[in-house]
Amino acid sequence: MKRFTAILAALLLALTCPALAAEDNRTQFPAPQTETGKLTIYSTTDLAAMKPLIEDFQSSSPGISIDYIEYLTNELHALASEACRKDQPLGDLLLSSSVDQLLKLANDGCAASHTSPETARVADWANWRDEVFGFTYEPAVFVYNTRKVPPAEVPRTHVELADLLRERLDYYRGRVGTYDIRLSGIGYLLAFYDARQTNTVFGRLLESMARASAVARCCTGEILEEVASGRLYIGYNMLGSYAYDAARRHPDLRVVVPRDYTLVLSRGALIPESAKRGDLGGQFLDYLLSERGQSIARNNAFYFSETGGLPPDVDGPQNLKESGIAQPIRIGPALLAVQDWAQRQRFIEDWSRSLIELNSPEWTRE
Amino acid sequence: MHHEPSLFARLARRISLVLGIGAALLVSAAWYYAETAADKAYDRLLVGAALQMAESLSVENGALSARLPTSAFELLGLAERDRIFYRVIDTNGKTVTGYDDLQSPVSPDGARDGLSISEGTYKGEAVRIVRATRVLADPSVTGHAYVIVAQTNEARSALTRELTLRATILVLIMSLLAFVGAMLAIRYALQPVERLGAAVRRRDPHDLTPVSVDVPRELDPFVSSINHFMGRLNERVDLLQRFIADAAHQIRTPLTALSAQIDLLGHDKLDKAGRQHFERVQQRTGELARLTNQLLSHAMVIHRADSIQLEPISLVDVARRAYRAAIPITVDPDIVISFEAPDDRPFVLGDAVSLREAIVNVIDNALRHGTDQRLEVRVRSDAIDAYVEVEDDGPGIPPEGWEKATQRFATSKSHEGSSGLGFAIAQEVVNAHGGTLGFKARDEKSFTVVLTLPLYKGSAT
Repeated sequence: MKRFTAILAALLLALTCPALAAEDNRTQFPAPQTETGKLTIYSTTDLAAMKPLIEDFQSSSPGISIDYIEYLTNELHALASEACRKDQPLGDLLLSSSVDQLLKLANDGCAASHTSPETARVADWANWRDEVFGFTYEPAVFVYNTRKVPPAEVPRTHVELADLLRERLDYYRGRVGTYDIRLSGIGYLLAFYDARQTNTVFGRLLESMARASAVARCCTGEILEEVASGRLYIGYNMLGSYAYDAARRHPDLRVVVPRDYTLVLSRGALIPESAKRGDLGGQFLDYLLSERGQSIARNNAFYFSETGGLPPDVDGPQNLKESGIAQPIRIGPALLAVQDWAQRQRFIEDWSRSLIELNSPEWTRE
Repeated sequence: MHHEPSLFARLARRISLVLGIGAALLVSAAWYYAETAADKAYDRLLVGAALQMAESLSVENGALSARLPTSAFELLGLAERDRIFYRVIDTNGKTVTGYDDLQSPVSPDGARDGLSISEGTYKGEAVRIVRATRVLADPSVTGHAYVIVAQTNEARSALTRELTLRATILVLIMSLLAFVGAMLAIRYALQPVERLGAAVRRRDPHDLTPVSVDVPRELDPFVSSINHFMGRLNERVDLLQRFIADAAHQIRTPLTALSAQIDLLGHDKLDKAGRQHFERVQQRTGELARLTNQLLSHAMVIHRADSIQLEPISLVDVARRAYRAAIPITVDPDIVISFEAPDDRPFVLGDAVSLREAIVNVIDNALRHGTDQRLEVRVRSDAIDAYVEVEDDGPGIPPEGWEKATQRFATSKSHEGSSGLGFAIAQEVVNAHGGTLGFKARDEKSFTVVLTLPLYKGSAT
């Protein structure tokens, strides 16, 4: 059944996001030494980001082989909810950037509680019931292509971005990319929190993006690729870790941390109630939260951290936390409002109406 | 003997029991109040959230729509660890959003207008359920819509636990203080009992006067019982002594007559064996007379010890008078008898008659049982005590018999007939004067009886 749903999900994925479906979404990391246990991780995090962490984990726990299975946030949520409702096992650890979905799962009783010295170090805002833990610190950033956006026009706040799109409408028409919140859970979450800001900013920005025929994509990777290649000029609400990683590979790509407010997302981890090897899940979770795991994550995987400064070559305030503009998305019951389906439906409808339907169909990707 | 538990232990047990029950009651009450308080506090959040959600209901395009405010969830999120379930039901009973199977145990008809709060279970968890009602009077949507919000009880239980724990700690500290205080109070309260016990224990066995220790009112019955008993005992002893005195007195008169008759009888007409018998009778009659005198003397001494006010007297005078009285005119002229007294005439606080009787008895004893060639009576004194010493050159009493010697009707030389009361009388008197009777043996030819009396320090009259 698990395999069936996985295949089903893979099919779904193939339909919705060809870039990802093209490759197998399951990656196996065999145990470096005699296998003593097999850990299955269902994740929405790009393999490239997780790979250094997984390999470092295996170097300290060489008996554990790891199956890493990648999904889009919404699909993973659908799978996990289904598995929980039917009380079937689905992996030993779920990693998702859509913490609202993990929170919903935990609220529905699908999560096992896990406490250890490592979980005690997690900040209050990134831990709910010792069931959902945030293990990264990722600002939602702007990216732009230096060849296409002249230095004078680089937007450093949301308002500047809205104004820029309004003023240079023709130049940027169809050249701004953002998440398609119908497909991406993380896109929906970020948009929802954008909407919770003072209404005028998001309203103006949404309106400007709609008028500029902003492009909606399923995944960060795609937008980053397109911005890097110059097909798109500006990417909005990109996850900082992916954006910075892309910027390191493409010299034309630059990252801006907005200076008016910056949403900060903490990627969530959850051990399913029905996990077969919840102990291994907990072990890997402890590793992610540990000093060592955090240091690997900062250097090789997610680049941003709550305590340190911004990575080099990022346009933004010196220290995100101290500057006071960081708005961490608190992992708590307020996320249930985000997950309320009536709410979600209406929000997506509103969003689609303003952003998609105003545009010619060719920019949409349904 | 089986001991009843001590008063202290009894009181301690009872008080701990009372304190324990009290503490248990207080802790139960604290728990009850804590639970009520926690319920009240968190019910407010729950009701607030439900009302906010109900407020957010609106009719859009002829259908009920719910824009659940994030603040409602944030309000519920104040109970940090609690899971939240909610459901919005439209006027037709259909779920608008939320958990389809969430039900309020209270029937909607019962609480049509307003709020209902109840306990319940959802997804296997104990939850608190609130239902808020929203009356809609839109042309297209009319009727009652409901918002049901349920929350698990972790925060409530945690608050209840915390409040109860704190109250319990306070109660325990108070109980401990109360217990320690009570124990100290009991110890303090029981002190008079100890004092009374010690006073009774310290008493001289011959002292039958009423106990005069200050005791709390509660112990009065006990003390008066003791005193009443002692009074009766005293009466008995008095009666007995009087009886002995009377008996001795009554015996003396016929005895004197008997002695006289025997003396008159003479022994000239008797043969040798008869004379022997006669002498034996004469001797025994003498002993009997002496014993009777001693009994009388003993009774007198005891009587005087109880009743006579002591006054300063010159011990030398008393000893000299006793010396004169004790040495018979018919004493063997071969015996060297002497009386020595110091110049400074030591005074003691005492009863001259009793003391003379005591000294007479000691000298008499020495003459009868000790003296071979020599008898010395000495009075001397040092800074603290005055002494009357009666020394003879007889074999004396061996040290192992000294203790027994002062008992009544006991003598080291049983074959000589019972002398019996001499030393007992002397000791009785000396003890009544706060002094002691002792023996000293220097060698084969010297045995001394010493009467030690405390020196009177005031001015002699």
